[in-house]
Amino acid sequence: MKLVIDDTRCKGCNLCVMVCPYNIFQEGQQPNQRGVFVPGLDRPERCTNCRLQQLYQRRLCGVCQTICPDQAIRWVQESPFEPQKVVIEY
Amino acid sequence: MSAEDWFREDRLPHIFCAGCGNGTIINCTLEAVDSLGWKIDDTVFVSGIGCSSRAPGYIKTDSLHTTHGRALPFATGVKMAKKDFNVVVFTGDGDLSAIGGNHFIHACRRNIDITVICMNNQIYGMTGGQGSPCTPKGAISTTTPYGMDETPFDLCELASAAGANYVARWTSYHVRELTQAIKNGLQRPGLSFIEVIVQCPTNYGRRNKLRDVQSMITSMKDHALLKEKRDRLLAEGKPIPDDMFVVGTLTDRNRPALGVKE
Ligand SMILES: Cc1ncc(C[n+]2csc(CCOP(=O)(O)OP(=O)(O)O)c2C)c(N)n1
Ligand code: SF4
Ligand code: SF4
Ligand code: SF4
Ligand SMILES: [Mg+2]
Repeated sequence: MKLVIDDTRCKGCNLCVMVCPYNIFQEGQQPNQRGVFVPGLDRPERCTNCRLQQLYQRRLCGVCQTICPDQAIRWVQESPFEPQKVVIEY
Repeated sequence: MSAEDWFREDRLPHIFCAGCGNGTIINCTLEAVDSLGWKIDDTVFVSGIGCSSRAPGYIKTDSLHTTHGRALPFATGVKMAKKDFNVVVFTGDGDLSAIGGNHFIHACRRNIDITVICMNNQIYGMTGGQGSPCTPKGAISTTTPYGMDETPFDLCELASAAGANYVARWTSYHVRELTQAIKNGLQRPGLSFIEVIVQCPTNYGRRNKLRDVQSMITSMKDHALLKEKRDRLLAEGKPIPDDMFVVGTLTDRNRPALGVKE
């Protein structure tokens, strides 16, 4: 699964930046065409849900999606298959 | 199905300001509703007037966006006519406790089988930041330019005293706990009241030295006192800091209820 921010919905509040245990969300540096500083993603393949949703058949962690007041965070199927390096952090 | 399937995608993005926590509370509510396997066709959302009260407009179920303060009488009517329906009310602190205060105590007294979710941003958000009955002491609003000098309502104590079966308080930062509390409330017969302290960066934070969303969230987090911890302090005879508010399940009981599904 792949983590995406819908930049037509995001209002740049950075709540996702505050809550992700892996610090995947980074404060946006540049405004998009709507003037919103959409956060960037740092190695999103580390996200628990990206790695394990298919295996467990349910959403894991997901706090960023629940707290995002603008319903801008979701996961999409990767197609075609995109190989990913999994980084394990202790 | 998942919580995402309950949203009216064509209505998003919603009108709430950047960083407003109302959208988070809608997420938690829909996650709770969805996890119980509720059906869109059997569920009704009712609201009054205010930023918070716009929530049902983004949800696919039938809904009633009523007049200011009157969500509870409308919801009572729906529930009495259609006991099989799941009725959930979204309301604001002004809507529920100022103009709608009398309806609130009587809905709790009747213990009507609905779930009431109050998005308490401690201000009249929609109309530009006037003080509400929940504005904390000392807070600046457009109607209290030198600081609020009245004592605010404790909505949860009010609901408990008036007779609600389930009462809980969380904040829009505590998304896991809030979702679980809403889920408990939805399942409990009788009136379930869930108060959510929520950030309004535009009309509360801006005037109260909490300019960005992060500082509002940090302040909510720092001022939330777990009920278990409060009880421990009480048992040890230690003082409870008076700038803290209690979070957790505050009442959970089985008084006779009205409108329960047969
Ligand atoms: C009968 C009536 N009186 C006053 C108003 C003006 N009014 C609209 S919203 C509002 C207060 C909303 O405050 P709250 O319920 O806390 O909602 P919020 O916007 O903060 O979410 C008021 C006074 C109205 N719409 N109708
Ligand atoms: S689901 Fe959890 S781990 Fe994945 S991005 Fe969101 S907060 Fe981070
Ligand atoms: S929480 Fe949502 S709206 Fe806020 S910055 Fe992150 S993606 Fe954007
Ligand atoms: S005025 Fe406050 S409550 Fe209303 S949408 Fe803006 S931040 Fe939210
Ligand atoms: Mg309000």
